[in-house]
Amino acid sequence: MTDRKKDPRDQQPVSRRGFLTTVSTSAAAAAVVGVAAPAAAAPAPRDDTGTVAIVLRVNGRRHRLLVEPRDRLISVLRERLGLTGAKPGCERGECGACTVLLDGVTRYSCMTLAVEAQEREITTIEGLAQGEEVSALQQAFIAEDGYQCGFCTPGQVMAAEGLLRTNTSPTVDAVRAAMSGNLCRCGAYGHIVKSVQQAAAARKTGGAK
Amino acid sequence: MRESRIYTPEAIEDESLPGLPGANDDPLKPWDKTTVVGARVPRIDGQDRVGGTAVYTRDISLPGMLHGVIVRSPHAHAMVKRIDVTAARAMPGVHAIVTTESPEAKIPWTLTARGAMSQLFDPHCRYEGEEVAAVAAETLPQAADAARAIVVEYETLPAIVDYAAAAKPDAPKVHAAGNLPSPPRTTQRGNVDAAFATAAAVVERTYHTSCELHTPLETHGSVAQWDSGDLKVWDSTQGVYAVRAGLAQALKLPISSVRVASPYMGGGFGSKLELGKYTVIAAVLARLTGRAVKCVLTREESLRCVGNRPANTITVKVAAGKDGRLLAIDADLVGASGAYPTGAVSGYLMLDLYTCPNVRVRESSVLINAGQARAFRAPGYPQAAWALEQAIDELAAKLGIDPVELRLKNVPTVSQSRNGLPYSSTGLADCLRKGAESFDWSASRTRAASKSHIKRGVGVAAGMWGYGGEPRATVIAKLYPDGSLNINSGAADIGTGTKTVFAQVAAEELGIAVDRVHIEHADTGTTQYAPGSGGSQTVLVNTPAVRSAVAAVKQSVLALAAAELKKDVNTLSVRDGAIVIAGETRTVPFAALRSLAQAQQVVGVGQRAPHPTDKVALPFAAHFAEVEVNTRTGEVRVVRYVAAQDSGRVMNPLTFENQVLGGVTMGIGFALTEQRIMDGPTGKLASGSWHDYKIPTAMDFPFAFTWVSVDPQDKDCNSTGAKGLGEPATIPAAAAIANAVHDAIGRRMTDAPITPAAVVSALATTGRR
Amino acid sequence: MLPRFTHVQPTSISDALRELAAPGARVLAGGTDLLGCLRDRAVTADKLVSLNALAELRGIREQGDGGLRIGALTTLTELATHPVVRARFGALSAAAAAAASPQLRNQGTLGGNLCQRPRCWYFRGDFPCARKGGDTCFAKEGENQLHAVFGGDVCVMVHPSDTAPALQSLDAKVRLISARGSRTIGIDALFVLPAKDHTRETVVEADEIVSDILLPPPPAGAVGAYRKIRARGVWDFAIVGAAVTLGLDKKSVRQARIVLSGVAPVPWRVAEAERLLVGHELSAPRIEQAATQASSGAAPLSANAYKVMLIRGAVAEALSDVMGAR
Repeated sequence: MTDRKKDPRDQQPVSRRGFLTTVSTSAAAAAVVGVAAPAAAAPAPRDDTGTVAIVLRVNGRRHRLLVEPRDRLISVLRERLGLTGAKPGCERGECGACTVLLDGVTRYSCMTLAVEAQEREITTIEGLAQGEEVSALQQAFIAEDGYQCGFCTPGQVMAAEGLLRTNTSPTVDAVRAAMSGNLCRCGAYGHIVKSVQQAAAARKTGGAK
Repeated sequence: MRESRIYTPEAIEDESLPGLPGANDDPLKPWDKTTVVGARVPRIDGQDRVGGTAVYTRDISLPGMLHGVIVRSPHAHAMVKRIDVTAARAMPGVHAIVTTESPEAKIPWTLTARGAMSQLFDPHCRYEGEEVAAVAAETLPQAADAARAIVVEYETLPAIVDYAAAAKPDAPKVHAAGNLPSPPRTTQRGNVDAAFATAAAVVERTYHTSCELHTPLETHGSVAQWDSGDLKVWDSTQGVYAVRAGLAQALKLPISSVRVASPYMGGGFGSKLELGKYTVIAAVLARLTGRAVKCVLTREESLRCVGNRPANTITVKVAAGKDGRLLAIDADLVGASGAYPTGAVSGYLMLDLYTCPNVRVRESSVLINAGQARAFRAPGYPQAAWALEQAIDELAAKLGIDPVELRLKNVPTVSQSRNGLPYSSTGLADCLRKGAESFDWSASRTRAASKSHIKRGVGVAAGMWGYGGEPRATVIAKLYPDGSLNINSGAADIGTGTKTVFAQVAAEELGIAVDRVHIEHADTGTTQYAPGSGGSQTVLVNTPAVRSAVAAVKQSVLALAAAELKKDVNTLSVRDGAIVIAGETRTVPFAALRSLAQAQQVVGVGQRAPHPTDKVALPFAAHFAEVEVNTRTGEVRVVRYVAAQDSGRVMNPLTFENQVLGGVTMGIGFALTEQRIMDGPTGKLASGSWHDYKIPTAMDFPFAFTWVSVDPQDKDCNSTGAKGLGEPATIPAAAAIANAVHDAIGRRMTDAPITPAAVVSALATTGRR
Repeated sequence: MLPRFTHVQPTSISDALRELAAPGARVLAGGTDLLGCLRDRAVTADKLVSLNALAELRGIREQGDGGLRIGALTTLTELATHPVVRARFGALSAAAAAAASPQLRNQGTLGGNLCQRPRCWYFRGDFPCARKGGDTCFAKEGENQLHAVFGGDVCVMVHPSDTAPALQSLDAKVRLISARGSRTIGIDALFVLPAKDHTRETVVEADEIVSDILLPPPPAGAVGAYRKIRARGVWDFAIVGAAVTLGLDKKSVRQARIVLSGVAPVPWRVAEAERLLVGHELSAPRIEQAATQASSGAAPLSANAYKVMLIRGAVAEALSDVMGAR
């Protein structure tokens, strides 16, 4: 068990009382402020809590990694594996831009600890295309203009992929419901839903993937 | 760092700027027929957008790159008394810390005519989230841990976030000079008071709108890297040139030493038109450490610190004669700027949406202890439309005239704000007529009232956007020996499809396929000046320059071909990537031109010509909404929608429709769900997440949606015939919904958003309000 | 950024309970609530004890008596789509389907949904509120439009769960286990009013976990519904919600349970309203009568008097739903 340091902000509680009160001050120690430390003088990284070795299976490949227990799947995908398709829009499970599939089921990778994703088959947006050739679902998003700025798009596509893997001919309402965990601030929902419907129709008529 | 100009009447001055040196009257006349322009062309960068391979600022990682995290005031109003970085300094991975006391970071901020109002890290914190220090460390978790370990002692001061209270003399002061940075501005014409006295019908009411937050999916952020004294910055921005100018000024660098690029950016909606502190902080930390530094805001920071659409209180009084002609409009608009001055209201719609001889508009902006307002998709207009268009609705009822008819009686043909200059085109009447027809307005209005507790209602609202764009842009076009074309423009594609439309224009002009066009854009180091992608100006400002550059290329390649083929240049033209010779069946592909191969490239430079001086080109819209209101639960659902837009030529129906969808969706958020909520006593944000700040989802958008283009075939606005679209697509939306709610339940919903609480509370009042 | 913690994922319940007995340990199930709370510093944890390797805590099992045993790790998606739950425990499947977003329902568990922390913006935000050990309930004099109209005291938060009122309408029991043993309690006894202890929402001890939720056989002629009033179409906590489970004999109501969400610090049962239904035909006037009764005794704060009307609306809608579905 480690000794948790007291959060310094805890000493500065926000209060409705205490307006105009002055917090007692002590001598400012700011000698190092604003001065970059020479690289050699930087203290060696230490670790109170320790990293742990994990294996992640992402898009059919196995990766051995050392991670902190607090590392979320999204940051490991993006920063350690270079898979920047999943986007961090909020890092609090409120936007869906980081949606990936875990064992084929849609999931927010920002609300998933990397240590908890072991032994699961992780599929990211990078796993949908074959090389430069995007999947029929992705092609449908292009054809129907199912995006604007594109930042939420990988998450939208993964949410649609999760839907179409379980429901090959969803109704409009089913598509809307399935896409309802992915915010699009540009407001392209009308085109996003059309894209998914078009992809479902293409799959039914024997389209690719 | 400057006050946002887009709010102000001064912004209109930008429209009358002369073109850049070299720009003259554009000799190109609008196309008669087009094949590529106007077609449903999918985005040329679609594969990267759907593949997760598009690189946003958030995705950039450079060798040796450090991560910056900002320490912010947890208090809405406080003085920093002491900062202790001892513990943070000793933490693993920490490379540099800057605070209010660091000489490197004493950079003036919020520059006004009276001087700087603050600095990069100011000990006087005027809103929750104001910057007091920053850390650079090897990893983001290390930087975040160290930032939390910085101990800051504050003296808290009284805070005020209620702007009505802040305007009173005894209110706590955000700045020593008080909370009213400038006196209210009054604009008037005619004799308003006399006109009210003679009117057949007068309505008057006070409306309130809520503060909205932009919340683009990609939060604001930058990566900064120094190289031999030059600064390169990747920034998630709508305007690389504005960021470059701000950085050069803040860091006292020659403009030529600063390079800003924004390859893909994840939404801005106006909040990314200017330089942000995080960008300067990244640059300062990078200079201190000799390493690249990435500083990207968290969602929580973005909700507090990078702008908002200010709350407005608007009292509007409107009078008309028995014939339905407007006689007078008197409007008082008050808005909350936040902790630093920004125009927080716009009375433009009152002045110019309708023909009205007597108008008085009083605009005032109040300082409060909250983040500063920024431009937000049609700054001030949806608020003004919320008030004015509900007032017009009420006036129509009072006069017994159909609301569409009443509006049709008052459609303007001249810009009353611009000395009566005529519009190049006014599609407002067509928007109202064609929209009403598509919506089946008359039948929808007279449908029998529902006996169930779910009431249906329909509403209409009109709008216009009063900014014609800054007519300054340079584009370079380069044709290569294989017949492929490079278009070089500084414009950012903020998700509207700018690059694709540019490629269509280039393809149209040179007679080549869209996939032969490559767009190089939004990098001050390699591309040409374009104004920020905001204010609905990107297409109308830049596409004439694209066309002009490509026309120059065409001229040159025709000259080369004429010499090589020994033909009179007047007998040559281009089609399908080839030279066509009049009277001959053979064509000569560009790739077969030896002279082009020898030249290696043919370059054309295009400049945006100034706007016409005798006409005003502005876009118009009319929206129609049908809602269902559950009188038991207060829930409002938008079930059917028609948006009619006069934005000039529809360059690409696919991206055009998408802009309209987006504008309407944003209007639904304004009307029904979006509301920044502050805790009054502490001045701190209560709605500090996307759970509590509610933007529309796929379940909130009406799939019975139709858009109607009203293309007035404008030959005078510019050489591509396009007017603005992004803002006019959202301006009338919320008001149309409010009018539909009124039609459904007989209650005038003066306050946005119309929450379940507001609906059931209104229904609990007796009779019509 | 999340604070630091250690993580263990035991493979047996006894190991998990042993790990959990250490001070500073917290249960990690779906994590959809916990990770948010940790990010917001609303809670602290030295060690997360993951239950996700414990298969015995998953799944929905039909019991011989017609009841159900639902493992605490069963996801909300499983509950929302399970044919037996949909057919016979309608309030629960409707409530599970109404919670959060598809992805969160795929991840969030029933046990976690019952044990989630309040969504009050003062609790989640950077405010040292009473529930976090401070001396002020900021909502009382602040932004309390979403807060309690029943049962408030030192703290006026509302319980955020959708499934809890549904389970209570179904007379569920909850099994808790720890290294010290196990206990089974009625779901109404799971939740704690602020007057009793405003720093906790449930009686679950730090070393204890919810292992199963037990549903008795539904009443004869059971029909159920959950009506959730929310500001946007999805992905929103209830402003007010009503879970109803009725036992009908032809047209007559034999048994009725109505439990509200979004109105009190615990799921709020409205027994008087239930009594107005029992023995009567479920008619529109009867529904209105019960719906009105459901809101009686409400004590609104400065900005939430409208909830009185929404209670009437939610109950009327839920009862109309079951009347229509009959």
